[in-house]
Amino acid sequence: MFFRKSIIALTGLFLCLFLIVHLSANSILLLPEETARELYNSYSTTLRESPIIKIVAYVLYLSILLHIVYALLITLNNRRAKSKRYTLNQYRENSSWTSQNMGLLGIMILLFIVVHLANFWARIKLGMGEGVGLDANGHVDVYEVTYSLFQNIYYVLFYTLLMAPLGLHLYHGLKSAFMTLGFYHKKGLRIIAKLSLIYAVIMAVGFGIIPFIVFFK
Amino acid sequence: MLDAKIPEGPLEKKWRNYQMKAQLINPANKKKLNVIVVGSGLAGAGAAATLAELGYDVKCFCYQDSARRAHSVAAQGGINAAKNYQHDGDSVWRMFYDTLKGGDFRSREANVYRLAELSAPLIDHYVQQGVPFAREYGGVLVNRSFGGVQVQRTFYARGQTGQQLLLAAYSQLYKMKRAKKVEMFPRHEMMDIVVIDGKAKGIIARDLVTGQLKRFAADAVVLATGGYSRVFRLSTLAIGCNGSAIWKAHRRGAYFAAPSFTQIHPTALPQTSEAQSKLTLMSESLRNDGRIWVPKKKDDDRKANAIPEEERDYYLERRYPSFGNLAPRDIASRAAKERIDAGFGTGRLKNAVYLDFKHAIERFGMDTIKDRYGNLFKMYKKITGVDAYQEPMQISPAAHFSMGGLWVDYELMTTISGLYAIGECNFSDHGANRLGANSLLQASIDGYFVLPNTINNYLAGALKEDHPTIEHPEFEKVEKEVAAQINKILSIKGDKTVDHFHRELGKVMWQECAMSRNKKGLEKAIAQIQETKNAFWNEVNVTGANQEMNTELEKALRLADFFELALLMCTDALQREESCGAHFREEYQTSEGEALRNDDTFCYVSAWEYDHGGFRLHRETLTFENVQPTVRSYK
Amino acid sequence: MKVTFKIWRQDNAASKGDFVSYEVDRLTEDMSFLEALDYLNELLVARNEKVIAYEYDCREGICGQCGVFINGRAHGPHDHMTTCQLHMRSFADGQTIVVEPWRATAFPVIKDLVVDRSAFDNIIEQGAYISAKTGTAPEANAILVGKEVADKAMDAAACIGCGACVATCKNSSAALFTAAKINHLNSLPQGKQEASKRVLEMTRQMELEGFGSCTFTGACEVECPEGISILNIAEMNARRAKAKWFD
Repeated sequence: MFFRKSIIALTGLFLCLFLIVHLSANSILLLPEETARELYNSYSTTLRESPIIKIVAYVLYLSILLHIVYALLITLNNRRAKSKRYTLNQYRENSSWTSQNMGLLGIMILLFIVVHLANFWARIKLGMGEGVGLDANGHVDVYEVTYSLFQNIYYVLFYTLLMAPLGLHLYHGLKSAFMTLGFYHKKGLRIIAKLSLIYAVIMAVGFGIIPFIVFFK
Repeated sequence: MLDAKIPEGPLEKKWRNYQMKAQLINPANKKKLNVIVVGSGLAGAGAAATLAELGYDVKCFCYQDSARRAHSVAAQGGINAAKNYQHDGDSVWRMFYDTLKGGDFRSREANVYRLAELSAPLIDHYVQQGVPFAREYGGVLVNRSFGGVQVQRTFYARGQTGQQLLLAAYSQLYKMKRAKKVEMFPRHEMMDIVVIDGKAKGIIARDLVTGQLKRFAADAVVLATGGYSRVFRLSTLAIGCNGSAIWKAHRRGAYFAAPSFTQIHPTALPQTSEAQSKLTLMSESLRNDGRIWVPKKKDDDRKANAIPEEERDYYLERRYPSFGNLAPRDIASRAAKERIDAGFGTGRLKNAVYLDFKHAIERFGMDTIKDRYGNLFKMYKKITGVDAYQEPMQISPAAHFSMGGLWVDYELMTTISGLYAIGECNFSDHGANRLGANSLLQASIDGYFVLPNTINNYLAGALKEDHPTIEHPEFEKVEKEVAAQINKILSIKGDKTVDHFHRELGKVMWQECAMSRNKKGLEKAIAQIQETKNAFWNEVNVTGANQEMNTELEKALRLADFFELALLMCTDALQREESCGAHFREEYQTSEGEALRNDDTFCYVSAWEYDHGGFRLHRETLTFENVQPTVRSYK
Repeated sequence: MKVTFKIWRQDNAASKGDFVSYEVDRLTEDMSFLEALDYLNELLVARNEKVIAYEYDCREGICGQCGVFINGRAHGPHDHMTTCQLHMRSFADGQTIVVEPWRATAFPVIKDLVVDRSAFDNIIEQGAYISAKTGTAPEANAILVGKEVADKAMDAAACIGCGACVATCKNSSAALFTAAKINHLNSLPQGKQEASKRVLEMTRQMELEGFGSCTFTGACEVECPEGISILNIAEMNARRAKAKWFD
């Protein structure tokens, strides 16, 4: 269990790092249209062509996979450990709702990832669905894919609302990861808890607000 | 005449002389010997673990769900040892003298000296076992003072000393369980003892989960079953504490010494209702900094903080200026009772006195007081809902420790060969009153150091005999007797509860056989207890069956023994026509209301033999070769 | 005051069990919760019914034997308290009080509200001791322990083994219990010699007993009567990792 928990923590921390990079890239979308399109497309082209990023991408896929698989195994084991539940349980009085529902939040995030991959990764990398054009510089026009997707209000709402579970999951997950990995310095953990909160808010609000801005562009 | 088998030589050499002459058993032979230990508190767990380390096969029993629950956990304040770390003039001799004097010269010199002598290595032992005793910044051990003593020799682990010591003993026990030298039987209650040809050879135990009666044979049986103050029903003891194991031993031939010597603890929380099941103990250490007082005016209805300084009666400081609030327990309790009976009691039921920290907080600051007693104040708040940093605590005397118990000789053997009694369940070291922080000490010393050195002397003989087996007809006979008693209780089907009878018994005992006693009252009590006992055997209703977990049946069986024990306690209190320590006979007091001891007539240990429902007195004369019994003054 | 107790009744480990409601009148606010149950049991005896089985011993919050789930909380509605310290003044007149046994696969129900916590003893058995025999100790002050270290060890050692941490944990994790014991001994100089062995063997036993893993909900430290900090679990993780990979 300690090994599995550590894997969840380590992959989680890696995914947290990834999200920072992802959000910085996404912030390009906030620039005026012409600049945004050019920058965004050249950035994504650079990424696709870099061999290092290729490796990182595989690490990323693996992380997501391990994170999910081990979380599933741990959860199944934890459920076995509590074969009978309480008829009445006021757990909100001794712990946060988030901490008690990381699995549920994780499933919601997984749902988001599936849709998100279908929207972008499948189209751009696998060439599934409608073809993607090139921009003036001859780069694959990822910006257009994004822009057109967020003209659909349902997608905007989906992308925005599902950032709430992401934020909650990150907040509890980040500080717990440190404890799982054996960080027990009292003051340090208090700082980590605060940083986790700030980080989670930035991620959730940041990712959540971009579709709206694009929608109204 | 009872022979305590005190070794020869000067006081300070007796234990060494004993060890030099005691028989030894070689390691290969120890493996062939079995010892049963009943009880898993400091004495029981300590003995079981140590005997197992020595190579014996040990079976250890406790009625709780785990050995770690034994009531040793509840001792808060500390454990005494003559280390003289504080450089305040302490020594083995002084500790010996304090303990002997604290017990009002009703204990054996040799035993008490051994207790003091072994106290220092015991602290070494516990430190090595990882007990987190309080420390100075420099890393050395801290001491504090306790009642009845003018030096600082008490070691403590926050307010959890008993818990921490027991955890050390319990884990050592489980270390030996892992080594397969100890077999644990939690949720098993000893129902009777099996004596074959005058020697203890086993026990009958009831599995509290299934109700099954089981036989266990051994070469020696050790009782470490604690105190019996639950005979008062309301006491500081755990609800499950009982006198049944030692009572069964008594009925099979073990003499019962000084049964009426019961310590009433001065700092428990007062009773608030009839339904109350126990009186919570607040550590005596609180008296280090707390000041005890009552209003000078009778039936003063003002709130404590509204009563000005000059209208408060700090009665302990007034009556005992040199010890003040640190007067020994029996004296502090009696002084409280005197004030309460005179109409100065506080609280809704007028049954309490104040324990005030106002001055201590002013003097040392809130932080220091919090550091010293924080968890006790927290506990007080949980139970009473009152913040004792803001207003004084209310405390009241409560039945606490049994100085009396099975009579044992210097080797801790009872009058049944091969049956030992260690810890609170024996009568050995505390005389007529126990000093604070000496109880963890005695239990540990008996279990870790004394018994493992003395039991060889008997077992060396047992080695040559046939080992007992549970097929022996005596096992069958005793088991049948136990089963018959259980069936009898279950078949009464009366209309009253066990608790009803326990309350009745408790009231009589508290009224007539607690802090002060008199002839008339004791005679009345004996008649009343007899009556209640008869009523119990005709009118009690115990529901449920034997072959299941039945907590009501457990209570009923324990209470049945308490009735008989109560009769013996009253008989003993009646016979001892003097006042000594906790035993205060109203007829024998000085003009100032202090205990009046009679060394000419009563300088002996009363050891009672069970005799067909009656009791026959034997005397072990106490001789004082090294100290002169004095009037015990704390003024 | 008058309350309705809704209490889990289960004859033995094999039977199914269910809630039974009991209306109890004439209770007082000064009564402890367990005294109210005592009183209810006396009523049951008067009705010739079997009494409810529940555990207790010291009734002053130190032995750790008592413990039930009361109105959705381990040891009742207050933080840092044992069941025996709970008083009826914490409930309103006319209130319904739901009482369930600890729920954990590693703590099977024996009867009614009584569960078997011997899994804790099994964890202790795997190393919660200093392997030194009686009679081998050096002079006590020869082992110096700074106040901060002693205090920290004491904070962890304060565990009373009641099982509330396991009971309240959604995963029935025994991490707080195990961590407290490991940190108590491993932070003291006396415990250093077998520190690695201790943490590895005790945590292994913890898993074998069928407890779940810690997901840091923090419920345990709130329900713990001794307020043992969840940081202990993080510390145990560190000690375990060190023992596993570096020792």
